[in-house]
Amino acid sequence: MADSEHLLSCKLNSTCDCVHVLSSMVEVMGHRVGLSDKQTNRMILAVDELFANIAQHGYRGREGKVEMFASRDGDMLNFELRDYAPPLLKDEMLGWPRPDGEKELKPGGLGLHLMRSVMDKIEHEALADGNRWRLIKYLNRGQKDEA
Amino acid sequence: MKLDITETEQANGVVRLLLNGVVNIQTAVALRKQLKPMLSAKQQHVHVDLSGVGFIDSAGLATLVEGLQWSRAAEGRRFVLSGLSDNVRDIFELAKLDSVFEIESQAGAA
Repeated sequence: MADSEHLLSCKLNSTCDCVHVLSSMVEVMGHRVGLSDKQTNRMILAVDELFANIAQHGYRGREGKVEMFASRDGDMLNFELRDYAPPLLKDEMLGWPRPDGEKELKPGGLGLHLMRSVMDKIEHEALADGNRWRLIKYLNRGQKDEA
Repeated sequence: MKLDITETEQANGVVRLLLNGVVNIQTAVALRKQLKPMLSAKQQHVHVDLSGVGFIDSAGLATLVEGLQWSRAAEGRRFVLSGLSDNVRDIFELAKLDSVFEIESQAGAA
């Protein structure tokens, strides 16, 4: 059960210039749970990348709704993004290979690599009318300094 | 959020881009548009000053990698970054690109 004191949520349009709204929410959450500036910046990066992947690969650049919920449950920091794009197959996005240095740099693949580097767990659930994504960070596991 | 881009031509064929703001999926398009004509055969040295950038994501990194690839395509070309804040440098490190780019520690050192 999430601690309601640490619950934030918002609804965004995938095509609007509003990623900073998500960034602000993550920043507030980060400060509430005592993350360092560096670690908060990394959380902002992970959420930014997930939002971008939903907009690009889920909605394919078309307009769509994205809801975000941020919560803390014990030592688990959870950022959940819900979209209403066509449900992706298992591993359709999360199964992308890690890019091999700058030779294979593509925003989508690198973004996923960055998310994986920052978060402890990335979950995807295909729903009847969209997708649910969870970025999970365990606060007591220490900071990942290696990508 | 936006990205302000200031371009200045310096002596010896050096073109300098000063960026202010965030470089993300929305603003990287403008950066790519500004950068592309600079990455021409005539140009030999492009310097991107990131001292005004507080945040960069994978779309921004991929745009800068285009500059890196341009510099590697011919002898004598340089694509130099400078002015990375701690947070921006951390993202380069996460992407393992900090050792790939030519990064100067001081803005204006080129």
